[in-house]
Amino acid sequence: MVTYDDGATGPSTTGRGMIALLFSTRHKAIGLRYLWLSLVSVLVGMVLSALLRVHTSWPTTAIPFLSGFESLAERYAAMRLLHGSLMVFFVLTAAPQLGFGNFLLPLQIGAEEMAFPTLNCVSLWMTVVSLAGMTASFFRPLSQGIDMWLASAAIFSLAALFSALNFVVTTIQLRTAGMTLPRLPITVWAWFVNAILSMLIFSVLLAGSAAVLSDRLLGSNFFSAAAFLAQQPHNLMREGSSPVLWQRLFWYFAQAEVYVAMLPCFGIVTHLIATFARKPVWKERLVVLAICGVGLIGFCVWGYHMFATGMNPYAPLVFSVLASSLGVPAAFLLASWVGTLWNGHVRFTTSMLFAIGFISLFVAGGLSGIFLARHDLAHAAVSEEFVVGHFHLVMGVAATFAILAALFFWFPKLFGGRMNETLGKVHFWMTFAGVYCIFMPMHWLGLLTQSTLLPDAQRAAVASVGASIRTVVTAATIWTVAAQVLFVVNFFGTLRRRKGAEENNPWGATTLEWSIVSPAPSDNFGRGEAPAVYRGAYEFGAQFAPDFVPQDLAPESLEQRTVNPRKENSCRARRHHTISS
Amino acid sequence: MPGTTTSHDIELIIEKKTGDGGGKVPPAGGDGGGNDEGKNRPKRQPSPNRYYTGIAIGIVSVLMFFMALASAFLVRKGGPDWVPVHIPWLLWLNTAVLATSSGTLEMARKRLAHADVGGFRNLWLMTTVLGVVFLAGQLVAWRMLVGQGIYLASNPASSFFYIFTGAHALHLIGGVGALIYVARRNFDAAKLTRSVAAEVTSYYWHFMDGLWLFLLALLYLGR
Repeated sequence: MVTYDDGATGPSTTGRGMIALLFSTRHKAIGLRYLWLSLVSVLVGMVLSALLRVHTSWPTTAIPFLSGFESLAERYAAMRLLHGSLMVFFVLTAAPQLGFGNFLLPLQIGAEEMAFPTLNCVSLWMTVVSLAGMTASFFRPLSQGIDMWLASAAIFSLAALFSALNFVVTTIQLRTAGMTLPRLPITVWAWFVNAILSMLIFSVLLAGSAAVLSDRLLGSNFFSAAAFLAQQPHNLMREGSSPVLWQRLFWYFAQAEVYVAMLPCFGIVTHLIATFARKPVWKERLVVLAICGVGLIGFCVWGYHMFATGMNPYAPLVFSVLASSLGVPAAFLLASWVGTLWNGHVRFTTSMLFAIGFISLFVAGGLSGIFLARHDLAHAAVSEEFVVGHFHLVMGVAATFAILAALFFWFPKLFGGRMNETLGKVHFWMTFAGVYCIFMPMHWLGLLTQSTLLPDAQRAAVASVGASIRTVVTAATIWTVAAQVLFVVNFFGTLRRRKGAEENNPWGATTLEWSIVSPAPSDNFGRGEAPAVYRGAYEFGAQFAPDFVPQDLAPESLEQRTVNPRKENSCRARRHHTISS
Repeated sequence: MPGTTTSHDIELIIEKKTGDGGGKVPPAGGDGGGNDEGKNRPKRQPSPNRYYTGIAIGIVSVLMFFMALASAFLVRKGGPDWVPVHIPWLLWLNTAVLATSSGTLEMARKRLAHADVGGFRNLWLMTTVLGVVFLAGQLVAWRMLVGQGIYLASNPASSFFYIFTGAHALHLIGGVGALIYVARRNFDAAKLTRSVAAEVTSYYWHFMDGLWLFLLALLYLGR
């Protein structure tokens, strides 16, 4: 068994030690490795997005290192695929769930380790193989590249299944004494519900990609391209293309994947808002229900999506109703965030700014989603750019904001030290302004397609407006990518300068991970020791002398800490209630 | 599942309550919790529950995988290029072998419950052999189909036949691996006991048995 605190500072340099270090089964080492994987992917993916924008605005510009790129539509499509794969699989799926989840879930429930550490290590390395495969597929000829991409997606699904199994079992079985379900932090609820959802949908992606691979490599007949193409409008077909392969994968999986990326972010943001507003989560149980609701509806949307590819003509309508009904749990969450912030003693740390930024982006992006959930949208002549703007705002950028919020918040526990607040805030405002300037105009571009209905003279005018909007979007992209240099400087600068010692609980947070030293030690709460939990995760308020009560503070110490004894009684009453029920 | 978890928690709380005297009487060790900020730390006890939960969740996931394929099968069945596959007679014999293996597995566990490790080992070995015989039988059934000129690529029905039997066989190989693991592992110093390992393995094995019956019914009735 290896004993060290994180992946970066292994003590041993011998050959055997190196192997043990590389294949460590400690949940914190694994969590950090997922985060490193995400960091590399997000930086590469971001540079790719800037290149894609440059190509859209100035198609004839030669791009360094990618000669011939500007003349080949295929290479452009492949680059878009690489951007999407890196961001969706290795950033949005990996960072909030696998990265922060692996590191923090055992700590927050008072466990020593995940339920199946070896399986956890296996799934990390399968994810690494999948990342290598997806990246390499970009450099292969198209047909080979697609096979390679599919195989990588299958490996990723299997890895995600193993991780999800670990998360579910850990949450059900390894909670410490007194950590009842109502006392779980919302983050743990979100990781748990998300793991169940992943469990269901990644099996389907695995089955789908295995079937498609078998069609392509072994000549089986699961998805007949000929039958599908016959049903398509003529303009969707290109000579020799077989979009059916991609579309099947998309139906099987992609819709629910959005919720897989978003659910842990809901958890993180709810947790941070309560901590920095110094107030309990408003309507905590409703939030838990809403998170379960998002998981449930997210799963059903997938189900109807798949039948929609079959025969039932009513399926699209049902799917549309379900997709719209996602607004209900989303509205609950939004109400709770606002309710928690209301009259709170809000501390505007960088982490909190990113959490509030998440809400802003989620609302802005979610509004256009209402239109997109309509089943008759195809008739409205809204082009792809509207969709791209919508999902980047609500899924891509909002989730990234939640990831950044989490990183600023948990940095002391992850690495020791604290990231620079001033630099962090400048980074936040530059990014916040930047992403709105990219994706809002993109919505307008999507609506400009309507101009085909106009007379010729006006259409020319609209086209020139469209061109200038595209240039603005590209400039904003470059600005936003450049702003991330601040983040990189802040992150690596803090890593270099961090001192060994950091306060255990710099933010005055209540959950168990803040009761131990920063960075978290290798044996969590002490070898063989388990903390005991006495109350819920969000006991904030002015009635306590420091304005919060940690979950593991014994009831007899609570009396010394309480200013107003009435609240203390209610706390105890709640505890007795739990015992007697 | 939620029901059992809740009762488990309540048990823990009550245990805690007696531990610190119900919150009224100060704990035996500390005076008002001065030393360790009033934190009472119970010792951890490893529990085998994680293996039961793990296998249950794993089974749901495997089921989902096959359900995705089964729904694709049902949707695809209506296509014009569908040519039904006649199931080789050998499959019925294989099914009997697999069903028998579930029986011997249960008998083995019964022997273990009576602390008869020798009898357990014999019956367990018999289960493993029956599992391998089933796999070999499936391979022979494939050869029979190939003999008739029916390949994976022949038509959608044959594609589904091969992928259902193939995917089930792959999952069953995992089960055989688990059987061998339980037979060979030295349980003296291990965290989990032999009976827990045998029980968890038996859940998976019976599930594989039931899944096979389902797939056979699907392939037979859904031609």
